[in-house]
Amino acid sequence: MPATTFRIFRYQPDSGETESYHQDFQLEHGEKTTLLDAILRIQNEQDGTVAVRYSCRSAICGSCACKANGKTVLACMTQVEHVKTDSGQEIVQVDPIGNFTPIKDLVVDMTPFWEKFKAVKPFLIPDGPAPEKERLVPKAAMEKIAKESKCILCAACYSECNSLAADPEFVGPAAFAWGYRFAADERDGQRKNRAKLYSGEHGVWDCTRCMFCNERCPKGVDPRDAIEKLGSIAFQEKVTSDKGARHAKAFLISLRTGGKLNEILIAPYTDPIGAPFNAPLALRMAQKGKLPKSPLTHRVKDRDQVKKLIKNVKETI
Amino acid sequence: MPRQFAYYPGCVAEFSSKELNATTKALAPLLDIELLPMPQATCCGAGDVAQAKPNLYLTLNVRILSEAESMGVDILTICNVCTLNLRRANKMVKEDPRVLEAVNEELVKAGARPYQGTIEVTHLLWFLATEEGLSLLEARGPKGLNGLKVAPYYGCQLLRPSSVMGFEDPDRPQSLERLIMALGGEVSDYEGKSRCCGFPIILAREEVALKESHVALSGARDAGAQVMVTPCPLCHLAMDAYQRKTEQVMGEEYAMPVLHLPQLIGLALGLPTKTMEFKRHLVPVDEVLSIVGA
Repeated sequence: MPATTFRIFRYQPDSGETESYHQDFQLEHGEKTTLLDAILRIQNEQDGTVAVRYSCRSAICGSCACKANGKTVLACMTQVEHVKTDSGQEIVQVDPIGNFTPIKDLVVDMTPFWEKFKAVKPFLIPDGPAPEKERLVPKAAMEKIAKESKCILCAACYSECNSLAADPEFVGPAAFAWGYRFAADERDGQRKNRAKLYSGEHGVWDCTRCMFCNERCPKGVDPRDAIEKLGSIAFQEKVTSDKGARHAKAFLISLRTGGKLNEILIAPYTDPIGAPFNAPLALRMAQKGKLPKSPLTHRVKDRDQVKKLIKNVKETI
Repeated sequence: MPRQFAYYPGCVAEFSSKELNATTKALAPLLDIELLPMPQATCCGAGDVAQAKPNLYLTLNVRILSEAESMGVDILTICNVCTLNLRRANKMVKEDPRVLEAVNEELVKAGARPYQGTIEVTHLLWFLATEEGLSLLEARGPKGLNGLKVAPYYGCQLLRPSSVMGFEDPDRPQSLERLIMALGGEVSDYEGKSRCCGFPIILAREEVALKESHVALSGARDAGAQVMVTPCPLCHLAMDAYQRKTEQVMGEEYAMPVLHLPQLIGLALGLPTKTMEFKRHLVPVDEVLSIVGA
């Protein structure tokens, strides 16, 4: 039977402990014991004050996300032995999820998460009067939002989100996965309003594409992909005034006119008001030859094909 | 006979960061690689086109794959973002014949060649961090890096999502470390090496982006690195061109020269410094050159 040292994050401000620390616990456990079961056994057998949030123990409730040797996981669907082989370490260090404030040991304050969740209006808002019968939705229409519907709100995607680390107000991956789930639901009548709601400061264009959310999601939701699709909905609804959307437009203009990125255009087009304030940097870059003198060199062969594709290809989200 | 690749340097290496393109081209014959130009290849859309018009993103990237297929060779990239975009499109059409069919219909309608799904996309780092690649370097008898302390900086999109990238464990990447050590450098390890540089949003959300690059720059500095090396020209712009601005915003000094991966290899193999165009960097690399005796 394997024995493991669990190095658990401890923080008990209610008991007068103002500083956090890590405490080691030794535990013999089975080959397939989950991290949650190990923590609960430590709580039951060694120290009843170890605090952990959990409920279903079967990857449905989304309560027990934590970091195991630095990587965010659901404790109930992660085996202790797997953590060790995956990280190449014999000791298993357990920390609360990142980008949240710990309240007690592994329990964090989820208030900002729920506020952001509420802010995306995660419910159907149909247009017009209620129908006589229930609304029937074809299978294909539900398949478009099937992945996002699997989100269990465990916040594993927030734990290592690089945009959130730099901007605590970023609405974030799970909330936007839900936003997409409703924006793309054909029973919803708020597509354009949702596009506006999600496109502001701290919105979909703040995602830095670090891809941690897709990597960490235990349910395969791929929140970054949902953020991407919300961008596409914003474009279809012509909600494109945000600097992030303008940045994307600059790419489309570059493709249409030459085929490659026009680096002279992109900064002033993205941020016409702010770009002049970056003149000193632009000048330094120009002095080093980092700004191309002419975009005419950016032309690819058979540009007519590219123009036709831009004209013909329809978006289907 | 040299190994042939369809060479997709990406827009930034062709224009803003020409030093990366120039160094890669100079390095290729030393590594027994032949880089074949792709005259039809457009921008990959960088994730921006994917976020605005996902179907268009897919079609444009498959058009690029198709050009390489017509040349009968795999694609070699030198940019994280291009690698992700091309590989993701490749995966999407290879996994679902219906998607490939729909994309090909558009390509044919526009007069472009349809794609059969036979091409792979790899990054120079991946090619070199294999036994085959390391033996190519070994064969050149590298003069070494004289113990230069190098902070590997991966950035995001060459590692994640691993379902698309898949070359190495995104949480414990070792490819850059293997190269640094094989070339006679010393690895300065730090936590921020696979965090985001912020570049994708640097024009739209500069302050957020600079806070992100700060994590890696300060981490590399605190680990005692004399230089940072990156496989991505976008990360390079964030770390090099914007470094002074990040210093101003964060109120810290990094003084961290940043090399493109081929430049680090070029130094170890003795490529002339002029060829690698270090004068185009905003953070001076003079100290690095003097340590390695270039």
